[in-house]
Amino acid sequence: MASSLAARASAHDMDLVVLSVGGNRGAFGELIRRHGSGVRALLRRMGADPATADDLAQDAFLAAFEQIADFRGEGAFAGWIKRIAARLYIRRWRRETRMSLSLEAPEEDMNAGSGEAGANARIDLDEALKGLSPVERLCVSLCYGAGLSHAEAAAALNAPLGTVKSHVKRGLDKLKGALVAEPSLSSQERAYNG
Amino acid sequence: MADRNFEARLESAFAETPVFADADLFVLRVNDALERNWLMRRVLIGALGVVGGLIGGAQLLRSGLIDRLGAVGGAWRLVGNELTNLPVGRVFSELFGGGPSTATEVLWMSGAMAIVAVGLFVTRAMREF
Repeated sequence: MASSLAARASAHDMDLVVLSVGGNRGAFGELIRRHGSGVRALLRRMGADPATADDLAQDAFLAAFEQIADFRGEGAFAGWIKRIAARLYIRRWRRETRMSLSLEAPEEDMNAGSGEAGANARIDLDEALKGLSPVERLCVSLCYGAGLSHAEAAAALNAPLGTVKSHVKRGLDKLKGALVAEPSLSSQERAYNG
Repeated sequence: MADRNFEARLESAFAETPVFADADLFVLRVNDALERNWLMRRVLIGALGVVGGLIGGAQLLRSGLIDRLGAVGGAWRLVGNELTNLPVGRVFSELFGGGPSTATEVLWMSGAMAIVAVGLFVTRAMREF
């Protein structure tokens, strides 16, 4: 028992996926342990509140277990599960907000680009993302957190490519302003309280 | 160039896994949900099997199969009577008794099998819950 746990802990993600395809839920549990926090963090960064993020992260892992045989290992498992979670969030976001991405007027953030926020206080990515509009935050997280291309993000959001690109650009400009004084961009040391 | 550097740093920052105080709890929660899903699926398949079996049995009964089996049974009885008159046939007859089944026996057998199937399902369901 202990040896199988140790073997699982040291196994490569792809080995765990192969075991999971064979119905080994212990192996899939190890994948959850490894990537659960990353998925939860991504969903929060996309704009989900903690409870919703956890619900969606759970749904993403359940969906992943159903589709695990489809994962061929072309990319990292972390990227695959994050894309599943991101699409689940987009579906919910669209249902709840009923917002059309293309119709939303660009807004000017008074704090954007000032750089003052990061000058004296430590600002990490999660704090910086709060300065973005919900749509900008979503687009930036999709492209830089879930690893979607602009075209994939546009397709997932059912929005024009140009609109997504402009939201990403605007979001990046704001992030630059907030993070320029922060050399590491690190948020690892910051513990979430769940 | 500066933009690309920034984007690379941003991707690295997104890729960093933060520390959640309740990470273990989350793993347990998802595992429980997986277990529940698995259980529900097994129960559903079992229930559908029982329902399907009952419907199939009812359809067989309604289609007049029993009468036809009874007719076939009658024919077999005639053959059986001839066979039991042979020396080897007598031995078989003593060993297995009875002879060919009748419509009533088939009905009883079907009922007994249905009861066994329901019993198995109930036992399984009780063990799972």
